[in-house]
Order: sequence, then structure tokens, then C-alpha cells
Amino acid sequence: MEFLRRYRRDTVGLFFGVLLLILYAVALTAHWITPADPMAVNLREVFSPPSAKHWLGTDQFGRDVLSRVILATQVTVKVTSFACLFAVLVGVPIGMFVGYRGGWVEAVAMRLTDMLLIFPIIMLAIVIVVVSGPTETGVVIALGIAQAPTFIRIARGVTLAAKEELYVEAAIAAGSGWPHILVRHIWPNISTPIIVQATLTLPVFVLNASALSYLGLGVQPPTPEWGQMLNEAKDHLITSPYLIVGPALALVVFVLSANLVGDAVQETLNPKLKKRK
Amino acid sequence: MTRLIIGRLLFMVPAALGIITFLFALFHLIPGDPAIMLAGDNAPRSVVDAIREAYGFDQPLHVQYGRYMAKVLQGDLGISNYSRDPVVNSVIPRIINTAQLAFLSMLFAMIVSLVLGCVSAMYWNRPLDKVVTVVALLGICTPVFVSGLLAIYFFSIYLGWLPISGMSSWRHFILPVITLGAFQAAVLTRMVRSCMVDALGKDYIVTARAKGAPEFLVVFKHALRNALLPIVTLFGLGLGHTLGGSVVTETIFNWPGLGRLMVNSILTRDLPITQGAIFFFAMIFILVNMIVDLVYAWVDPRIRYD
Repeated sequence: MEFLRRYRRDTVGLFFGVLLLILYAVALTAHWITPADPMAVNLREVFSPPSAKHWLGTDQFGRDVLSRVILATQVTVKVTSFACLFAVLVGVPIGMFVGYRGGWVEAVAMRLTDMLLIFPIIMLAIVIVVVSGPTETGVVIALGIAQAPTFIRIARGVTLAAKEELYVEAAIAAGSGWPHILVRHIWPNISTPIIVQATLTLPVFVLNASALSYLGLGVQPPTPEWGQMLNEAKDHLITSPYLIVGPALALVVFVLSANLVGDAVQETLNPKLKKRK
Repeated sequence: MTRLIIGRLLFMVPAALGIITFLFALFHLIPGDPAIMLAGDNAPRSVVDAIREAYGFDQPLHVQYGRYMAKVLQGDLGISNYSRDPVVNSVIPRIINTAQLAFLSMLFAMIVSLVLGCVSAMYWNRPLDKVVTVVALLGICTPVFVSGLLAIYFFSIYLGWLPISGMSSWRHFILPVITLGAFQAAVLTRMVRSCMVDALGKDYIVTARAKGAPEFLVVFKHALRNALLPIVTLFGLGLGHTLGGSVVTETIFNWPGLGRLMVNSILTRDLPITQGAIFFFAMIFILVNMIVDLVYAWVDPRIRYD
């Protein structure tokens, strides 16, 4: 509650926070609010420019672009949320374990993690998609694994600090084993910073998921996705340039809102950051 | 310094072996029988068996692994499933094309971000700074496949000034280089700005101003030199990200580079080419990272003694 009270003072953060909530609401209710069936092919109305009937026009199959953009919002939110969750589920236990264990296990694990961090996420994701396949699940797995090294680093860092605390020493003295200490004592104390970090990386997931789809390695047609819609629109750029407006705008607004909300959350939690800016 | 360079170069050996092992595993991790994949789904059984034998897929895994490792170490990455050319022949020219794109984009991004970052820090919290910050933020949130399409529409189709795709003349370089460079410039401008804001707040800046040094010298000599250390690291990271971004940029502008080769080979299931592209990309990333480390040690001598 204290957090909300302080967050409200940040006008930019508030505006984009509301915008982000609206986008999430659109994603959750996509099936009910699309003005037309996003999958319905209508060959009599191919490439019709924006009009009162089709606000963003229709594509090469006569499908309503606005409806497809709305459904794509749902697809993006679904894919990126699961990918983020997957990255946390893979990265955090590994990071916590090696941070708590220390010694050569930690040294080797961190060396490998550093090696993976050399590669851009999109590269790792492309390589993993070769194995996991260009499907929604495949993208979730690929982005999740590609981002896991980041979470290993974060989880290890906070675990290193937490394991020096008195309550851990007390738990050891009481005879608890390491699984019990990690799950019951350390996790409750480090979960907040990790969850905050996870939400902050959301824009990265969105950008990479749509980049994969743009390359044809992500969500496959006919399921709409912003990157994939832009890829299709590119072929008709000379005759129907309006096709890129919807997906491009949705993508940029979503990433922009997520970024600004992330900044605002960080500043609210850590007011020192604001002074430096 | 020499010891550092040799140590770093030696590190590339286990890294390369690790990558080759991964590529071998990749061949067997992909769902489906590799022999059927090569022969095609409708190939008769006899053809599939012949391919399986010819490629050695019927051998135990460790024998296959040994053979693959030996072949790669001799510079043989196999032949393309479609063109039947050796993979190395199709990959090497692509590396040069990608290097040109990435290098020029990075150069563009470095110049733009240094200028904008410094100007923004000089006019800290004033309208000019706010404008730069907002533009940079928009740049970060606009992926290259959005800015690239907008640039193609505006400059190639609407104005008709620049070619849409390919790389046959210097005019073909402008749009891809600026599209990819602008995204990096946006990312780097924010970071250069915060490094410079930090540096301009230090005591030695007050001293420099107090002794009457002109503002130009204060910013570019006293502050920039001290902010250079984190900036060099950022540029190193940026180079890696530019290479990553080149994959998408090459696809937008039909640039005949390594990234597009890799994506196309995945889409057409030409696994030897995919493996070759991944191998060279990985080696390039490791090499770039190594060079950045060395530059860092050269700029800051304290690191050498760690």
C-alpha cells in the first residue's frame, strides 16, 4: 500500500502503468472484444484500406487487421509471461543452489553462465528454437532458456548476501539440511527482488519474441503475432503500407509502457536512483 | 599484457571444443531421424538406409562424435543439403558481409551516442537533455524490424532515394547501417549520458572549472577521459548486440550475411549450414569478447594485475 501511494506521485509511471493495464485487459478479453473474426478469410475484401468497417484495413486474405492486432496482444502476453516464468523456474533454483553451495561448483557454474551471457539473447533463442521447434511452446522454451543465465546471476547474488544472515546460521544450528534452508528460509527473503527483476525484463522478452516471429522462427501463421504480421506486411509495403501501422504501434507502445513502468517501479522502491537522474 | 593475451587465446581452445560438441549434440537433439531428414520424407527405404550408412549414422555415438570432431578440426564442416557445396565456402564470404554491416553500424552508433550522450549530460535536466532522453527511449522501444520497415517505406518507396535491398553499391549500405546503428545508438546514448553525468559531478570537474578551463575542454578532456572506462565496456557489449541485431536487419534488407544464411538454413532445414553458421557466430562472439577484455585491460592498467 505504501508502494502504491508513492508510485502514484510519478505521473509518467502512472500514465504508462494505466496504459499497460489496458493492454493486459485487451489481452485477457481478446476473444470477446475483436470487432471481427481475426481468422476469417474474406477474399472479396483483400487489401481494403482503413475504413469505418475495418479501422486498420484488411490483409492479403481479407482478414480484419485490428482484430488480428488484438488477438496478437493476447498471444504476445501469453508467450512472454510463460517464457519469463520458465526463465525464473530454470534460473533461480540453479542460482540459489550454486550461490549457497559455493566452492568449485559455484566457480564452474558461474564461468559457464558468463560464457552464455557473451551471446545476445536473440542468438541463443534462435539456436534453441532449432531444437525446440518454431511453435508457441518452442518459443517459450527458447526465450526461457536464453534468459535463464540472467536469472542465475541475480539469484546467486541475492543468495550470497542472504546466506550470511543470522537466521540461516540459526537454521544450520537447528540441524536443517540445505534444501530446507533454501526453500523455507532463503527463498521467502529473496523472492521480492527476484520477482521485481523478472517483471523488469518483460520488454526484453516481448522484443525477442516478436523478433523470432518476424524471422519466421516464432509463432506460426495463421496465429497472429506482431512480428509475424510485420513480416507479412513487408511483402505488400508498396501497395498496402497501412498494414504495418497496427502491429508496429502495438509493439512499440507495449514495450514503451513496460519499460517506463519498470523504471518507475525501480525508482519507487529505490528513491536514490531518482536523485542521480 | 602478453601473458593476458596468451591466456585469453588459450581459452578459445576449450571454448571451440565445447561449441563443436554442442553442434554434434544439436544434430541428434533435433527430433526426427537425420537420415530421413536428408533423404526427404517420401524417400524409399533403400535410399534412407544408404544415406544412413554413407553418413555413418549407423555407427555408435562415440564413433560419430570422434569422426565429426576430426572433420571439423580439419576445417570440414560438411556440405550443404541443397547446393552440395562445402559449408565453409558458403559461410566465409557471408562473414565478411556481416562484418561490414556490423562494423559500420557500430561506428555510427558510437559516434552518435558519444555526441548525444555528452551533449545531453552537458545540458542535464534542461529541454535539450529531455528531448535526447525521450528520443533515445523511443529508439530503445522500436525494434529494428519496425524502424527498418518505416525507413524502407519512407526513403525507398515514398521518396525513391535509396534501394530496398541487396548490397551492390554504397547506397545499399545506408539504410541497413542506419537502421541497425540507430537502435544501438539509442541504447548507448542513455548509458554514455549517465556515465558523463556521473563524471561531471566529480570534484576534479569543479577544480577544472575553477582554474578557468574552457567548458569544451572540461567536458571532452577532463570528464570524457574519466568516463571512458565504463564507456569502453559498453561499446564492447554493444558490438556483441549489434552482431545479434544484424540477424534481423539482414533479413529485412535481404543482406547476404551470415545471419540471414543461418535463418534461411533453419527455415529450409539445411542443418550443415546451420551448424556452420552457429559455429562461426559463436567463435566471432568469443573473439569480440576477448578483444574487448584486452582493450579494457589496455585502457585500465589496474586490471592486468588481477
